Amino acid sequence: MTAVRSGHTVPNTRRTHAGPHRRGLRPGWVLGVIYAGALAVLALWWQNTDSVVGAAGWLTDGARITGLLAGYGCAVLLALMARVPAMENGVGADRLARWHAAGGRYTVCLVAAHVLLIIWGYALTDRKNVIGETGDLVFHYPEMLKATLGTLLMFAVGITSARLARRRLRYEVWHLLHLGTYLSIFLVFFHQLANGAQFVDRPLAKYFWYTLFIGVSLVLAWYRFVVPVARNLRHRMRVSEVRFESPGVVSVYVTGHRLDDLAARPGQFFRWRFLAPGMWWAANPYSLSAPARDGLLRITVKAAGDHSRGLVRLRPGTRVWAEGPYGAFTEAKQTRRRVLLLAGGVGITPLRALFETLRGDVTLIYLARRPEDLALRDELEAIAARRDRRVLCFVDDPAEYSLSLTGDSLQAVVPDVDERDVYLCGPPGMTRAAHRALREAGVPARHVHHESFEF
Amino acid sequence: MMRRAVLATSATVAGISLLLALKPHNGGLAVASGSPAGRSGDAGSATVTPPEASGPSGSVGPSKKGTKSGGKSGASGTYTGNTIDTRYGPVQVQVTVAQGKLTGVKVLQTPSENGRDRRLAAMSVPRLTQEALAAGNARIDTVSGATYTSEGYIGSLQSALDKAHA
Repeated sequence: MTAVRSGHTVPNTRRTHAGPHRRGLRPGWVLGVIYAGALAVLALWWQNTDSVVGAAGWLTDGARITGLLAGYGCAVLLALMARVPAMENGVGADRLARWHAAGGRYTVCLVAAHVLLIIWGYALTDRKNVIGETGDLVFHYPEMLKATLGTLLMFAVGITSARLARRRLRYEVWHLLHLGTYLSIFLVFFHQLANGAQFVDRPLAKYFWYTLFIGVSLVLAWYRFVVPVARNLRHRMRVSEVRFESPGVVSVYVTGHRLDDLAARPGQFFRWRFLAPGMWWAANPYSLSAPARDGLLRITVKAAGDHSRGLVRLRPGTRVWAEGPYGAFTEAKQTRRRVLLLAGGVGITPLRALFETLRGDVTLIYLARRPEDLALRDELEAIAARRDRRVLCFVDDPAEYSLSLTGDSLQAVVPDVDERDVYLCGPPGMTRAAHRALREAGVPARHVHHESFEF
Repeated sequence: MMRRAVLATSATVAGISLLLALKPHNGGLAVASGSPAGRSGDAGSATVTPPEASGPSGSVGPSKKGTKSGGKSGASGTYTGNTIDTRYGPVQVQVTVAQGKLTGVKVLQTPSENGRDRRLAAMSVPRLTQEALAAGNARIDTVSGATYTSEGYIGSLQSALDKAHA
């Protein structure tokens, strides 16, 4: 539900740190809690079901299980997108988004199974045809009209989120439509308690369900509404300058009150909303492309989608609404003194900030298509000279300056690559190749820190 | 991607089928969640001991109408069973007994809160009555798909017969 469309805009992040403990929840723990909750939901069904009799029983109870799991799935999907700092920083926004996408597909399938099974099962019990039973269910059962509307809305969102359809749709339109799921989940909530065999007459089960959904709603409202509103009222950010960096790439400088209090760390990102005509309704994640200092934040963006193209036209003084900082792609991931930063194209942005601030022996490999696409190159070289670090730039064209991403070529340019922590950020094709090359070069997977470019 | 989708789907289908398979499939063994107040003794089983057509004398339930003839031939009259509260609503039946023999069952109430309840009752009650009259007692099977209504019916029927034979 978040983020940037493929390959273009800017990376989001994760973080690193030489420190002994990392901030935030471990991904494995979060998954464990999610699965434990699913088991509890199955236990709810098990506890409240005496027997499963005949074909109608199998269908109806199959429908109940899928329905319960789908309801639980909705709560989990909301929680994953609630921007809880411990999860954003521990699990990483990119991974949360991937979980959310996979969980969303799964939940929509559960809903579809629930609808089909319940209609079929009830039709068998009632000895009616499926169409008559459907009409009956929709119009004569409590809260079912609302639930039907909510389900149709959910399917609409599901269909438009499918990969193919999404490619044909503008990201911003898709994102807005996606917000319809809040309404959808609200609409279907009531039929669960009114009709669910596991809830009728079971106050305890009802409390459990209420607690789950009200709890998730409160967390969501807090971190996606209250906190951002309070922060933005306080910091009152504005665009101070827009600078061209390379063909199609601009940097946007943002000022505000007491920005240091945000404690944004290099490698992190914000979700930015620029209150300019045609842009105010979309919030896109862009990494900070320089350490935050002197009350100034900077992002560097490649014009790709509508949102990023609009950045070029931003005027100084434009109000900015930002949510963050988020991301676990920071110094907290660093466990070795020697570090290799591996950037592809505009994936340079978080690495540019880290290049300046990481401690130890830092080398940066920067890959781009053409020499003029090497955005921020001058300041990278300046940092390298000042801090005695290495920048190695490669381009596909002309070919004599290219670097093929293989284990051998990596070892040729960075002989001790297997003793380094590697921070990787770039477009999907490049990061896939880089993962393979790093493995070949003998870098253990736990030392490869990757922030996915697209969500 | 594709492989994970197939894996997730088959794991879900298998898991749900397993859960369903582990539950008892004999409706008769189930207990209605409503209080089995009207059911004598063996709660936990929907089949009930056949009433002995014996006791000529003794008090009859308050709802008894009609005469009760003494002697070995057993009671005659109309007896109203207890109201059994099932999860979906109350069930109550009234029986007609002639010389200790069950000759008629009239249903006074069944769950009727919504269309499904009414249809389940409409579907199950005639079959239950048919079975009860054929068996002459409350030792009948529940109708699948209408377990709760069936159990309420059987419970109320048993209590009515208990009164008739008390």
